[in-house]
Amino acid sequence: MMIIMHPGAPREQVDQVIVEIEKHQLSAHVIEGVEQTIVGAVGDGHSIPKEIFEALPGVMAVQRITQPYKLASRQFHEHDSVFQLDGFSVGGREIPIIAGPCSVESREQILEVAQAVREAGAHALRGGVFKPRTSPYSFQGLGEQGLEYLVEAREKTGMPIVVEVVAVSQIGMMQKYVDAFQIGARNMQNFNLLRAVGETRTPVLFKRGMSATIEEMLMASEYIISAGNTRVILCERGIRTFETATRNTTDINAIPVLKRLTHLPVIIDPSHSTGDSSYVAAIAKAGVAAGADGIMVEVHPNPAHAISDGKQSLTPQAFAVMVKQVRAVAEAVGRGLVPLPQEKVVMRTDAGA
Amino acid sequence: MMIIMKANATPQQVEAVIAQVKSEGLNVHLSQGVEATIIGAIGETHSIPPDRFEGLDGVESVQRITQPYKLASRQFHPEDTRVTLDGFAVGGEEIAIIAGPCSVESRSQIVETALAVKEAGACALRGGVFKPRTSPYSFQGLGEEGLEFLAEARDRTGLPIVVEIMSQVQLELMARLVDVLQVGARNMQNFNLLRAIGEIRTPVLLKRGLSATVEELLMSAEYILSGGNRQVMLCERGIRTFETSTRNTTDINAIPVMKNLTHLPVLLDPSHSTGHADLVPAVARAAVAAGADGLIVEVHPDPAHAVSDGKQSLKPEKFAQMVDQVGQIAQVMGRRLAVVRGEHPSARQGWT
Repeated sequence: MMIIMHPGAPREQVDQVIVEIEKHQLSAHVIEGVEQTIVGAVGDGHSIPKEIFEALPGVMAVQRITQPYKLASRQFHEHDSVFQLDGFSVGGREIPIIAGPCSVESREQILEVAQAVREAGAHALRGGVFKPRTSPYSFQGLGEQGLEYLVEAREKTGMPIVVEVVAVSQIGMMQKYVDAFQIGARNMQNFNLLRAVGETRTPVLFKRGMSATIEEMLMASEYIISAGNTRVILCERGIRTFETATRNTTDINAIPVLKRLTHLPVIIDPSHSTGDSSYVAAIAKAGVAAGADGIMVEVHPNPAHAISDGKQSLTPQAFAVMVKQVRAVAEAVGRGLVPLPQEKVVMRTDAGA
Repeated sequence: MMIIMKANATPQQVEAVIAQVKSEGLNVHLSQGVEATIIGAIGETHSIPPDRFEGLDGVESVQRITQPYKLASRQFHPEDTRVTLDGFAVGGEEIAIIAGPCSVESRSQIVETALAVKEAGACALRGGVFKPRTSPYSFQGLGEEGLEFLAEARDRTGLPIVVEIMSQVQLELMARLVDVLQVGARNMQNFNLLRAIGEIRTPVLLKRGLSATVEELLMSAEYILSGGNRQVMLCERGIRTFETSTRNTTDINAIPVMKNLTHLPVLLDPSHSTGHADLVPAVARAAVAAGADGLIVEVHPDPAHAVSDGKQSLKPEKFAQMVDQVGQIAQVMGRRLAVVRGEHPSARQGWT
């Protein structure tokens, strides 16, 4: 941490800063410039809030040099985190695709989508049963019954299920059903919820808040990891900007930036980041070209009649086209899609022949 | 245009709006709902500002249905516009990679960079000679002398040159010497400059303003197109957001959005849109995967000693790697990298 003093700050104020630094078991390193004095705080300062120094008299600004997160950082964990999600790995060379409807609407709907996305090449199934809708009058989700339908879809297709959790009280019940929790954008800084999913050992798909910086997202993921749950997947889902042509602005820079800063897998959700199904395939390809480790896409058998997010949902046919294109881009960047079970069988036969 | 009346609007107020719609030469379509009356204004509305109706009594809001630009719109011009440079076209199957330093610093610097980027696969050379720097104390560019160095670099390599214009007073000189005029982000809404460029026939690279919406960018393009210059290329170069880990935020959505809204070629500048050389190749690949028609990339032989934008400039070796990667993506998109013909006599001498 670098503590920059106001020009002309008297020696007593500098001394006060030094005392505070030493109080936190850090050592002070004073640099006297021509106009200003800078005090460096050297040591493990990641858990010390910079506000402590900002509030002292004579301090103009405080700058962190090291990252304020530790467990999520690549500095402390150099190699990519790769972990299993029921049959395939996330964060490795091969890219998984998570697909499904915004909301589970009925047993028929989720079974139909699951079958369709599986055939088109999806590796995991998404579907919301507790929906954080902007309006309290909008459909709020099927709850536990929706989870039962999702489990049936998993049994029929073999795909693990990824479901959003919106309250601490749901965790115990949901754990019995889901393969991965999703933390949605609106809960990225719901710190109680983060600590609670951190206590479980269920993988977490963690979405960036609409107005959260990359650093804030990594800090929030630190809540989950520091509670002991290290299987966290980060997801860029678009941020709020002045642009109105799309629902959100896909921060494509976030993909290579996150890959540099953290060892955690980074995926992209082009459905939310564009809000328009006609742009989803282009942004899915862009995500993979930029280095994303996976894609999460909304698919609905009949988008025009979807209860939520119809405008940004792909039809199963359009999804199948997107999967082919994403596969080609993945191969162009030296990667590939996670093989589907039938492909694995084919590969084994080839190897044996 | 849809004019939505307030719930308590009086019949007289509705009549006044109808009269105004008719006086603009438009037809009226009245729909009286339970809670609100809506007046549809039908006809050639693109040149009529919504303010014409927003100020009338009893009007709640006005919504445009058709786009406020016409010549830039794909609705009126469905097939892609191709801007032809030396032996290649931007906006067709080919992906154009324009590369070069932020600023022309010296004769040797620009010639060295031009040779390096050409060898790595660039099809055009960029280099600023009039620099719109944030601080008036920063290097402001070499001016006309820089243009001479660029012309020499073009002679040596055959690469067409793309140079930023900041003011109308530079137009005559620049139009004579450069192959593509760049309008920078800070001048995207310098309407006098746009109109002046519309009067000439030199191709234009129009960059999106730092806080401009896609619609505003297309409106600015309309200024140039409506002057008669149809050789306009658009460039996404990152927008200002709350994110601080990068210089700007690359609005990658803008690529497919613009390809959908306009027939003009769409390029991306990953150097400015990220501000970090390390991030440039990833975002360059993403752009082509998203459907961009080209890239404009900052390359400097010695970024650490560049007079401007060193942090975001690639070394020629890194640029060559980026070109290879972009070529792979172009291929899976069914496209290929543009190659300059480079038939200038001295260029042929230099390269055979």
